[in-house]
Amino acid sequence: MVAKQSKWAAVLVLSLLVPVTAFAGATGGMSARAVVEKFQAELIEVMKNGKTLGYSGRYDKLVKPVSESHDLVKIARVVVGKEWEKLTSEQQDKLVDVFSKLSVASYAHNFKEYGGESFAFENEEQTTRGGVVVHYLFKVPDEKSHKFDYWLKEKGDSWRIINIIADGVSDLALRRSEYTTILQREGFDALIAKINEKIDNYSKL
Amino acid sequence: MVINKALGGGRPGIPLSSVTASFVLGAALALGGCASAGEKPAVAQANPADPYEDINRKIFAFNDKVDNYVAEPVANAYKWATPEFMQTGVANFFTNLKNINVVLNDLMQAKFQQSAADTGRFLINTTAGVGGLFDVAKHAGLEQNDEDFEQTLAVWGVPSGSYLVLPFLGPSTARGIPGSVFDTAANPATYLGGIGVPVSVVSMVNARANADGALKFIDEAALDPYVFTRESFLQWRQNLATDGKAEEKNDLADLEGDLLDEATASGDAAKPSAADAKPAEAKEVPEAAENKTAPEAQDAASAEPVKAAAVSLVPVASAQAGSTHSQTFQDAKSQYEKARFEYQLLQAEGAKKKARKTRRAK
Repeated sequence: MVAKQSKWAAVLVLSLLVPVTAFAGATGGMSARAVVEKFQAELIEVMKNGKTLGYSGRYDKLVKPVSESHDLVKIARVVVGKEWEKLTSEQQDKLVDVFSKLSVASYAHNFKEYGGESFAFENEEQTTRGGVVVHYLFKVPDEKSHKFDYWLKEKGDSWRIINIIADGVSDLALRRSEYTTILQREGFDALIAKINEKIDNYSKL
Repeated sequence: MVINKALGGGRPGIPLSSVTASFVLGAALALGGCASAGEKPAVAQANPADPYEDINRKIFAFNDKVDNYVAEPVANAYKWATPEFMQTGVANFFTNLKNINVVLNDLMQAKFQQSAADTGRFLINTTAGVGGLFDVAKHAGLEQNDEDFEQTLAVWGVPSGSYLVLPFLGPSTARGIPGSVFDTAANPATYLGGIGVPVSVVSMVNARANADGALKFIDEAALDPYVFTRESFLQWRQNLATDGKAEEKNDLADLEGDLLDEATASGDAAKPSAADAKPAEAKEVPEAAENKTAPEAQDAASAEPVKAAAVSLVPVASAQAGSTHSQTFQDAKSQYEKARFEYQLLQAEGAKKKARKTRRAK
């Protein structure tokens, strides 16, 4: 049981993190809170059918929800920091592409079953630069609840998740340090190779 | 055992239920397999809080080996041989012992109400919970709090100092060292005399076993386990020290602000190779080389070539889509192109405005 809890730990901090695509679509005109809750509901639904769907089934089901609720382009840009500007357009596209796949793969791998988990809305507030942060508690039966804070920015006529802070650990900041370090130490190709390796592993685990 | 200090004595009060705690704790021990750690010199200082990154990476790799060859096999054997209810009991026992230290630190941080609750928690679990084996207090609505001397020092205004990876102990900070010394001294498990060693061993094995899921997660998720561990550790400790109020400092706005500042600082040198690397596209997007920053920074050229470039991207997207999920990603990709196109239009508009302004100024 304890091991299971630790597992959740990990899952929470990381899986939500990964970014995904940005485009105006089914979430147009929705409030920030509605965007988050639509995504949460879709995620829980996939978890409930997780076993029967299998990895690839979960992956397919999650592509759209993740893509519609996150601002991938912005996240990808922020995550590689100033390195983004040093990439060619082709590299930027490649990064966004593998990043999308990694995000969905991570969700599909980590949210594979349902054990009564739920999200409870706490409150929401405006940020200084026109964003919104929506606070939730992620409730796991027989466990202490976990704080989940979703940061959203407006994109066109809809809101997009741009960062998730789980129990105080900011995915965006964490990823940013990780990705910029790899870019600086090992270069773009190594970064893409590492991301692809993770995607590959998720499909096999 | 040093590992025990890190996981048992050094971080009292870590609730087993805390996702992040176990996660980061796990990281403290195993530090999942960064083969390239320390092999290459750092090109740039990624985090000012980590001035000793090169040596830290070496110790991180060492700890990883220790975990692979010693701690993990032992923990696996423990999990295999011990019934789950007993593992939970052992975990509860050590968590309960740490509550004495939690109460002391509550008081030193002037959290008097919380110290009363934590005292109640300790008393209930020690008595009704049969020496702490059962977490009865949780069902009475008393959550396990996480306080230690390092947090107390933070509350007193002592800066965290440099990030350090200690042999066997794992991640820490300069402030964490006196913190651990105090916490170890305030843990009754330290004073068990003759039975102290076996108790310490059980505590260590228990801690490692509890961290197992988190460690596997790092292995699965981290692209650079060293950086992943460092950042999550520092954020997690900051969050604990400020009781969750740290997130305000994590404001995305700050991150964005940093990004824009950096991009501005890099100036015209930004994205110098875009035109060279993609000659075909460069013809259509001559402004790509000047395309410095975010949508907010509008300094592109005219709208027409931008439109052409956006259209030309579609076949590239199709060519790239090759996985089993290609169709879905093609959809996502074309939507991305759309977003990108809109963004470029915005830039172009900005540039036009700018040009008009300049003309007017002349």
